[in-house]
Amino acid sequence: MQTNYSLVDGSKLIVEALAKSGVDAFISYPITPANWINQYATKRFPIMTFAPDEITVAQWISGLSAAGKLPATATSFPGLALMIESINMAFMMELPMIIVLAQRLGPSTGSATVGAQGDLMLVNSLISGGFNIPVFSVSNIYDCWDITSKAVHTSVNLRTPVILLTSKEMIMTSYTIDLNKLPEINRAEFNYYTSDEVYIPYQADKNYVPPFLPLTNNKHQVRINSSTHDETGTIKKATKAAIGNTIRLHTKIQRRLNEYLLYEYDNQESDLLIVSYDISSEATRDAVKFLNENGIKVSTLFPKTIIPFSKELIEIIKSYKHIMIVEENLSGLLSKLIYGIETPENVTKVNKIGSMITPSEIIKEVEKCLQIC
Amino acid sequence: MSSNMLIDKNSPYCPGCGHMNVTLNLAKAIDSLEIDPLDVIVVSDIGCCGLIDPSLASHTIHGLHGRACALASGIALAIDNPNKKIIAIQGDGGATIGIAHLLEAARRNFNLTLIVNNNQIYGMTGGQLSGLSNENFQHENANIEEPLTPFNLIELAKSAGATYGCQLIGKGDFTDYLKKAINNNGFSIVEILEVCPSYGYQKYSEIENLGFKTYEFENKRNPFRLYKNEIKSLINFNESKVYFESNLDKPIKIILAGSAGEGIQSAAELFARAAISCNLNVTKKGDYPITVGTGFSVAELIISPNEIHYTGIEKADVLIAISQNGFDYTKTKIDDNTFVIADSSIQNLISSNKLTFDFQKTFGKKNSAISSLFTLLILKNIFPPEAFENSLHESKHREKFIQLIEKIKSFLSEINHPA
Repeated sequence: MQTNYSLVDGSKLIVEALAKSGVDAFISYPITPANWINQYATKRFPIMTFAPDEITVAQWISGLSAAGKLPATATSFPGLALMIESINMAFMMELPMIIVLAQRLGPSTGSATVGAQGDLMLVNSLISGGFNIPVFSVSNIYDCWDITSKAVHTSVNLRTPVILLTSKEMIMTSYTIDLNKLPEINRAEFNYYTSDEVYIPYQADKNYVPPFLPLTNNKHQVRINSSTHDETGTIKKATKAAIGNTIRLHTKIQRRLNEYLLYEYDNQESDLLIVSYDISSEATRDAVKFLNENGIKVSTLFPKTIIPFSKELIEIIKSYKHIMIVEENLSGLLSKLIYGIETPENVTKVNKIGSMITPSEIIKEVEKCLQIC
Repeated sequence: MSSNMLIDKNSPYCPGCGHMNVTLNLAKAIDSLEIDPLDVIVVSDIGCCGLIDPSLASHTIHGLHGRACALASGIALAIDNPNKKIIAIQGDGGATIGIAHLLEAARRNFNLTLIVNNNQIYGMTGGQLSGLSNENFQHENANIEEPLTPFNLIELAKSAGATYGCQLIGKGDFTDYLKKAINNNGFSIVEILEVCPSYGYQKYSEIENLGFKTYEFENKRNPFRLYKNEIKSLINFNESKVYFESNLDKPIKIILAGSAGEGIQSAAELFARAAISCNLNVTKKGDYPITVGTGFSVAELIISPNEIHYTGIEKADVLIAISQNGFDYTKTKIDDNTFVIADSSIQNLISSNKLTFDFQKTFGKKNSAISSLFTLLILKNIFPPEAFENSLHESKHREKFIQLIEKIKSFLSEINHPA
């Protein structure tokens, strides 16, 4: 196939993929390192404006979604922290929206222009009560295209906010890409309620998701509710029907995981598996290429649907004698997500903050691991 | 008379609560304006006033404490139709929490009506004072500090740009004011002073005795509109391209180091585009202090015949330093194998493999970066200088670059250092 090389950055690909997938409204608040995404967005969406603060962003995109638009925003930890209550609201209301999270060095305001992978456990526990919203992770520049699209489709299909997890170095570096390698992107289609019967806003179909009607329709009354509610969308204390509705929000995310589970697995029939995600995946690819060329076999696993963390991935991981988890944070968040606080002896964590983990650091750890093993 | 808007006449509030009269007046206002309830979207806040939803035949959306006006603003952003009526309902507590949201809604003149049910206290949580509580108001749960003057919500909204505002006492029939608010094509605010049988004033006469009178303002302004921008794809899939040949057989890592204002990032971008025109893979990233307009500006480029994964540079193959700031920031990334091209002004240039040139003196601050990259292409066989020349020709600053290219060519003709 003929090549069609172009110089693009992850921010541009993400914005273009959002638009092609059907996002038509973008609200944001200036924050580094999401600025490039926000700037591209000003040229790409029919509805785009900057809100005065982070909570307003989350409320405006919720209002847009309830009125039938498909909104997105981009932020970093400080902004996400302030949006959490509103994202819980959107989850409870079952409003589709895409939140691009550009990770940067924390804690607190940290360093706005230094990358990191510090927010995995936060996004895993974002929803109060033990629920998940789907979180997708881009492992290279091409993922900025098709993983973004999958995130949009999942948000619409499951009627839920989703997070696209990325980081400074992934979205603020320009790369050569071959445009001919970008697959076609389809628009996500809403499942609208079409019957003449009375609309019961939270009555789900067999796929655990209620058909949608926007607040702008003139045919049926729509009730949307952030508080505990039953199928009718009116506020209820913890009645059986209302709790049943709330539990359904968990069921739809977990039971339909197979529809949106994405990962990249290279099985080299080795003893050692390296698991990584986001920016550290690229250093891992270089390190493993070097090792495999030098006769040291290493397999790799890059989860792209990272939350919920699928049992299918756990089974792959369990089939290896040694596991190495590479991520740019202090104490190994993916390791904690998989194993809890006690890391098994056959697991090596490669962690660092302040700059990207390098291929040579990974190679060194692999060599050390193979000596001990 | 039966109401289209009110579908449940039973009060969801405490007996004697002021909110019920607001509910009745709102329903009556919608009915008398002959608005289809399904053209009305009621956005209710947390608190006793948020119990309104089941009473109404309109669409309802019940959100977070203090955020109803912001949620309503998001709905307003989606709707470009003055016949759709968005009505947000908050208490004085919710309005205090979300005061910035109502100021922003007023500033943008979003087409919505905010009703603030002010019964002086947070009722659902046990009678705490809000920012709208009157300084004379006394309550056992609230007397923890000296009395404070409340926010004048109507004046704040007016100064922020609201186009209709009204403060009134919530007894009897006040539908005429609600009708004006709902009919206004822009942001309206109606603050209704109420009784609260559980914690607040028990009788409307107590509120009247404080000297409150109905007060309203109108202000003509166009409602909020987004510019209709022409939306087009960010990626041109059918860009016509000129291709050049390169013999590069392994990756080369280049750092271009200078100061803010020297065009480092744009020079690196043009260089990257040139490499792409030679069918090479490139990554380019910028590095600068948190304040982007001062100090160093550094661009890292990796150029490779193969796909590039890790985009960092631990040790550079080439360092081009055109000013001191950049050199000082990047000098830890060079070793004896690094080929250094530097401006002759750079101090402490300790390197065994270096060449210096008068870039700054010859080409000035703005053009030294491009000139030094041309120099690199003459000295090292990475890709043909013609590809870089072509990249400059294709840029939006084409005119400016034509002269510069001639000057660089004459400068470089005096160099005889083939790689």
